[in-house]
Amino acid sequence: MSAPAAAVGREPSVARDLIALTKPRIISLLLLTTLAPMFVAGSPSWATILWTGIGGYLMAGGANAVNMYLDRDIDHMMARTKLRPIPSGRLSARAVLAFGIAIATAATWLLGHFVNVLTSALALGGFYFYVFVYTRWLKRTTPQNIVLGGAAGAFPPLVGWAAVTGQVDLASLYLFLIIFYWTPPHFWALALLKQHDYGRAGVPMAPNIWGERETIDQMLWYSVLLLALSVLPVTFGVFGLVYQASAIALGGVLLVGVWRVRTRAARGESWTAVAWSVYKFSLLYLALLFVAMAIDRHWRIG
Amino acid sequence: MAHSFPAPLVSLPLIPIFWLAVALVAVSQVMILRSTMRAIRAAASDRARRGIEWAYAIVPAVALVVVLAATWHATRDYAVRADLKARANQTSTP
Repeated sequence: MSAPAAAVGREPSVARDLIALTKPRIISLLLLTTLAPMFVAGSPSWATILWTGIGGYLMAGGANAVNMYLDRDIDHMMARTKLRPIPSGRLSARAVLAFGIAIATAATWLLGHFVNVLTSALALGGFYFYVFVYTRWLKRTTPQNIVLGGAAGAFPPLVGWAAVTGQVDLASLYLFLIIFYWTPPHFWALALLKQHDYGRAGVPMAPNIWGERETIDQMLWYSVLLLALSVLPVTFGVFGLVYQASAIALGGVLLVGVWRVRTRAARGESWTAVAWSVYKFSLLYLALLFVAMAIDRHWRIG
Repeated sequence: MAHSFPAPLVSLPLIPIFWLAVALVAVSQVMILRSTMRAIRAAASDRARRGIEWAYAIVPAVALVVVLAATWHATRDYAVRADLKARANQTSTP
């Protein structure tokens, strides 16, 4: 029995590994940021919600599988990724690549056929950006990899918005920007904790190249920028008070968390526990902010 | 803007909120660029690499300026509409 299967007391199976390739836990957040904007954009039918959800899952899952194929040479070097199906020898690299391409192709057709062509094109754009721009180009060449690469994870709200309205406009662009500017404080909190892993694999993450102080400083300013940016959709009527209060409260908590990391690092005290709590809270931040968007929209109409 | 949104239930000082948010965005972006410049100087070995890293930092900042300009137009239009609606409500109230 392989290590991960033994750890959870389950027999390994191809089906379980194929699901693991899609990174279901990460996709749950991507799906939330796809589906919540649909309720901001309008009143989607159950069929539109269902097909957008299925298509979104398959597209993101396909991108994650292809990412695991492309990173197969370094995944065995990092504790975080060494138990994935390819480095642990449970699936062949070719099978993983074929699976990723197959489900991304299925997603393209499903979204184009049952939702609309723009939704399909945007989801495919997210796939290409993640696979080629982030994984192939930026990830191993620049410490700003996750700043620009954050755009890959920011496509889901555009997909959800386009599924309901058939277009992309300024309001949807703000949902994209919120995820784009959320990515640095979120991912660098993890990168600070895993910098030795990334160093071993030769991935030039900001903490390894720029140092901890500069990375934490940038996390702080990205958190301020995120807080301010998240309030701006209120000024042209996309959201009202419920969202505004949520954005300020959630952004404030994130900012205080990063500030605590910075203060502890400056004093030479241990900051790892605080950085881990910032990482975990940042996940909650995004989920709650997008739920607040849907609630705000419903409250204002109702 | 193609999508129309309902008027707020409670009137908010939209223009001051806009400028306060823009000021925070501008200060943050400048600080990010300064920090990135420091980091690039310290880390990037050759001039070409520095240029590429600098371009990576500038692109999102330029895009943000464009989005903020579009937001100002949308905010101004929305504030005018909200104001007109509020005046109409006052006029129609007996």
